[in-house]
Order: sequence, then structure tokens, then C-alpha cells
Amino acid sequence: MAQNMIKYIIKRILLMIPMLFLLLIITWILSRLMSIDPAANMFDPFTTDQATVDAMRRKLGLDQPWFIQLAIYIKNFFLGDLGQSYLGRSQGYQVTEYLGLIIPRTVELMIVPTILAPIIAVKLGVTSAAKKDKPADTIIRGIAVAGSALPSFLIGMLLMYFGSVILPALTGGEIFIPTIGNKDPTFDDPTPFTNFRIIDCILSNRPDLLLDTLIHLILPWLTLTIVSLAGITRVTRSTMLDVLQEDYVRTARAKGCSESSVISKHALRNAMIPTSTVIVAGFRNALIGSVIVERIFNYIGLGFTTWEAILYSDYWMILGIILYFGIIVLASNLISDVLYTIIDPRIIYK
Amino acid sequence: MEETQEIINTEIELKGKFKRMLKFYLLPFWRDEEFLAKEYELGKIKSKRKLFSRLYTPLTIIGVLILLFIAICAVYASWLTPYSIYDLNARPGTDPFAFPSAEHPLGTTILGWDIYGRLIYGCRTALTAGLQAITISVIGGIIIGVISAYFGGKIDSIIMRIFDILIAFPTLILVLIFVNLYGSELSNILTVYGVLGIPNYARLVRSSVLQVKENLYINAAKTSGSDNFRIMFSHILPNAISPLIASVFSAIGFTILGISALAFLGFSDSSIIDWGTDINVGRTRLFTKPWISLWPGIFVGVTVLGFMLVGDGIRDALDPKSKK
Repeated sequence: MAQNMIKYIIKRILLMIPMLFLLLIITWILSRLMSIDPAANMFDPFTTDQATVDAMRRKLGLDQPWFIQLAIYIKNFFLGDLGQSYLGRSQGYQVTEYLGLIIPRTVELMIVPTILAPIIAVKLGVTSAAKKDKPADTIIRGIAVAGSALPSFLIGMLLMYFGSVILPALTGGEIFIPTIGNKDPTFDDPTPFTNFRIIDCILSNRPDLLLDTLIHLILPWLTLTIVSLAGITRVTRSTMLDVLQEDYVRTARAKGCSESSVISKHALRNAMIPTSTVIVAGFRNALIGSVIVERIFNYIGLGFTTWEAILYSDYWMILGIILYFGIIVLASNLISDVLYTIIDPRIIYK
Repeated sequence: MEETQEIINTEIELKGKFKRMLKFYLLPFWRDEEFLAKEYELGKIKSKRKLFSRLYTPLTIIGVLILLFIAICAVYASWLTPYSIYDLNARPGTDPFAFPSAEHPLGTTILGWDIYGRLIYGCRTALTAGLQAITISVIGGIIIGVISAYFGGKIDSIIMRIFDILIAFPTLILVLIFVNLYGSELSNILTVYGVLGIPNYARLVRSSVLQVKENLYINAAKTSGSDNFRIMFSHILPNAISPLIASVFSAIGFTILGISALAFLGFSDSSIIDWGTDINVGRTRLFTKPWISLWPGIFVGVTVLGFMLVGDGIRDALDPKSKK
């Protein structure tokens, strides 16, 4: 069986290579569909003359026929050069360099919700399915439905209001949770060893900066946890309800297994298949970043940069970000397929 | 013994009575002395339509009532608020960000537009947007799903691989890019949401068509000479469609959430009244006047809640495995 699994995994990995090329081609086609001219976009339209724009066009290779441009693009991808961003906060940085600065911030933002939410949500979903129509079920369903139905920005804004207005009012101005950005503007940065701000603060031995960063991260973590909790709880509850009707659960109960072992050993593993899809999707969303949450809390991460790049039509940055998303999506598809075969080995034999 | 005989007699009399009397209940001030409360309860329980009784759960009723409320707000919008769309979205008013007063029951938002009026007119946008996007998704998804599942083989696996990747992409970012390409009118946004929703439906329809295809009557239809098109859309499709109905309502809810999120980020049409733009606009005054963002947000949440409750109720009612 292990041989079959390894063959399946190798087959899937080999399938990824043509998909990578397809992704590059599609990204390039998308870039051609955008009606912006990268060379003209870089300069102020009123003060620069045509010669500078033409020189820039030649430098970027934009006057060559389309297949040569595609070849240049693919060659640059494999060389690691994704262009240079020229608008907005990331002005002057190379795209790969700027993404290297920004992605750790998003990972810091997303890592706690991605780990915490599935653990809590699976437990809640299982409890809600096992105690169906009892008060616990109603409460958990209420929370799950409220977390799914309310938009995530509303939950974020309510938490902001709570942290900055209600909490100081209740405690007489002592405690408040800051809501904007990822650090107090009067604090400086720790020395950038790894670009992960938390790890940098630990490594450069600055506990005050560490505490400040963590306090700024509490509300975004809470928002993201609530939103993912709701979705995973609903999926777990519905699949668990389906599984608990099956015959093998009835057999296990008739055999005399304790109720907790019936649920956690027999029923849960079969119910985890759709849930594992959602959890892997959560990890993928963690690497992609959330545009909405980062915009609310003004947290400079990958989502915020995406929004800014699209707003300002920052050509190379948009391409670089789409390419990054495509790679993440392909990799996460591969991982979720492999995970499927581990959880449910019957899939290979189909 | 006599009491049970009496109850049985009463039940036999009731066999058509509830239906016959139903039209009189809709008349106000009508009363029938013989129709006691007990008989009314008995008549209710003996409803012959099982699907209706499976749908008649408390949460589904709440969902239907919420949807009815939003629909009434959308249809009777001009009666419910004295302002016209022109006053609410085009002409600057006098007092921006004012406190609630007599003319403006919930206060005003940027440029002096009445919040309560924008809430009521926003119901129209929400309902039409959700339905329009879902129609494209469902029709495209059904066609592609049935075709790919029926023919199987290479076409099926290629289409499903493409759709797997398309599902995995975050829709918000794709919609942002396409809105940037093609302009931010409402019809463009809804078309993009519709097209991006096709993979979900294609996968649902495909899995149920794969199950229906194994039945014997399909083989019989093929043997008696039906062509492929007829088998696909007259024999297979009606049997494969029930999981689709259950997920349409939840999907409308998620589409409304997605459109609000897009409006919140600022990329939506500025010539329509949308709850998302109101939330975005009220963000600057969040700490001093939170109700400006709060009311549209509550309405979005309540609308999506209604759709999700109805969707869950229909799914539970149509599912053959759930016990009642």
C-alpha cells in the first residue's frame, strides 16, 4: 500500500510541472489584458516627454513580439527576477525583495488563527453533532451561524470598537487594545534578522517591542479565529451528523464501545475528510493573506499590499502576487490530495 | 371510550374542514363558533404534505420571515422612506454625519444622505445582486457538470482539474483584478461572481450525476434510442438536482457577503446604494458614531443569516438520510 501511495504522490508531483508552465502563461496573458502600459504608468503624464517613455519601453522589452516577451517573462521567473514595483508603499523595491519583507508579517498574522481555529472548531462541531437538539447544540449553532453570516469586516470593526471605546470606558481609561497598524508609531524596529517581527524582537532582546507587537496582534487574531471557526464548525457538524447515521456507528455502539470512543475513534475519522479540505484551505488562506482584515486594522501585510497594488495599478507587483498565489494554490492542492490519501486510503484504488 | 369515539368523530369531520375554512381565516373579523382551538390544532397536525411539515421547523421559519422582511423592504421602498434615490445617492444633503433626528431617524452619512433610507434601498441591491450572480453560476454549472460527468474520461478529468484550481483561488482577489480590467459597473461585478461560482455547482452536479448514471433506466433509455442530449437533460438532470437546490440559498448568502466585501474595499459601483459602501464610509467615524457602520452591517448579517437558515432548512428537509 505504501508503494501505491508513493507512486500516486510522484505522479501528482510530476503533474505539477506542466501546471506551473500553464500558470506562467495564464499570468502573462492576464497581464496583457490589463489595459495599462507599464512604461507610461511609471512616469507623470504631464511632465515627461515621449523619449523617456520609449526608452523605458525598450528597457522593459515591451516592443518585442509577444512570444519573445513571453520567453523573457519565463526566463526572468526562473532567474528570480519579477520586476520592480514603482508605486505606493513599495516604491523602488524589487518585487521579490518586497514580498520577502511582507510575507513574514502576514504569516505572523495568520499563524495563530490557522492553528487555533481548527482545533476549537472540530471540538465544537463534534459536540454539537453528538448532543443534537440540546441547549449546547443550539448555542454552538448560533455562534457558528453568526460568525458565518456577519461579514468579517463587521466583526473586526465591532472588536475595534470594543477594544478602544468600551474597554477603556469600563476600566476607567487604564486598559485599551490598540487597533491600528502593527506597532506603536513611536517605537522603532528591531534588527531584521528574519523579517518575522516576533522572532526578531526575541532575538534582539527587546521585550517591550515584543509586548507591543503582540498586543497589536490580539484583535486581528480574534477576528480571524472567529471567522474561520464558524465555517469549520458548520462543516464538521453537518458531516458528523451524516456519519452518525451510518451503520458502523450503530454496530460500534451495539458492541459496547463507550460513547466517547465511538465518536472520537469510529465516527470522527470518517467525518474528517471534508473537514480536512477546509483545514488545508485554511492553511492556504493563511499564506495568501486576508485583504479585508488587513485593511481594517491597517496592518501592512500581503493582503494590504495586494489591495494597494490593484488600486494603484502597480503592474509588476500585481503579476508577482498573482504568480505567488498560483504557486501556493498548486502546492496546497498537492498537499490536500496527499492528505486525502493518508486519511482515506481507498481513494488510490479508484 | 366515549371520549375517544368523540375525538375520532371530530377528526373525521375535520378531514376537509381545515382546507375549506382556510380561505375564511384570511378575512378579518371573521369568526366561526364551531371551530374551537382544539380542532384547529388537530387540523394542523394532519397536514398531508410531508415536505411542508419537514420544512416547518423553527429556524427555517425564522429564515423565511427574515427573507420576507427584506423582500418587503425592497419592494415597498418608496413607501417606507420619504427620500428618493436621487436624494440618497446623488444630491449632497445638508448635514453630514449628523445625529439621529426627526427627519433622519438613524442619522446621516457622508454628504448628508439618510442612513435609514439607504438601508431600505440597499435591500434592492442585495436581492438583485445575489439572484443575478447565482443564475449565471447555476446555469453554467449545471451544463458543464452534466456534460463532463456524462461523457467522462479525459474531458472530465481536465475540466475537474481546472475547476479545482479555480476553486482554490480566493475569489475576492480575482474579482478585484477583473474589476480593475473591465470597469466597476454592477453588471460586470455580478458576471465575474457568476462565472467564478460555476466550479462549485459543476462539482456538485457532477457527483450526483455520476451516481444517477449507474441506474438501470439510463441504460434502458439508451437502448431505446434516445440521443445523448435527451438522456442528459430529461432523464438524468431531474434526478440529480436536489443537492443543488439546497446549496443555492447558502450560495446567494455568500455572494451577498462577497459583494459587500468588494464594496467595503472600495471597488464597487458608486451609482448604486450598497450596504458595503456605507460600512466603508462610516469607518472614519467608527469610534464616535458607530451606528453609521453598524446598521448596514447588521442588515447584511441578517440578510445572509436568512438565506443560510433557509438553505440549511431545505437541505435538511430534502435529505433522505436525516431522520425527522
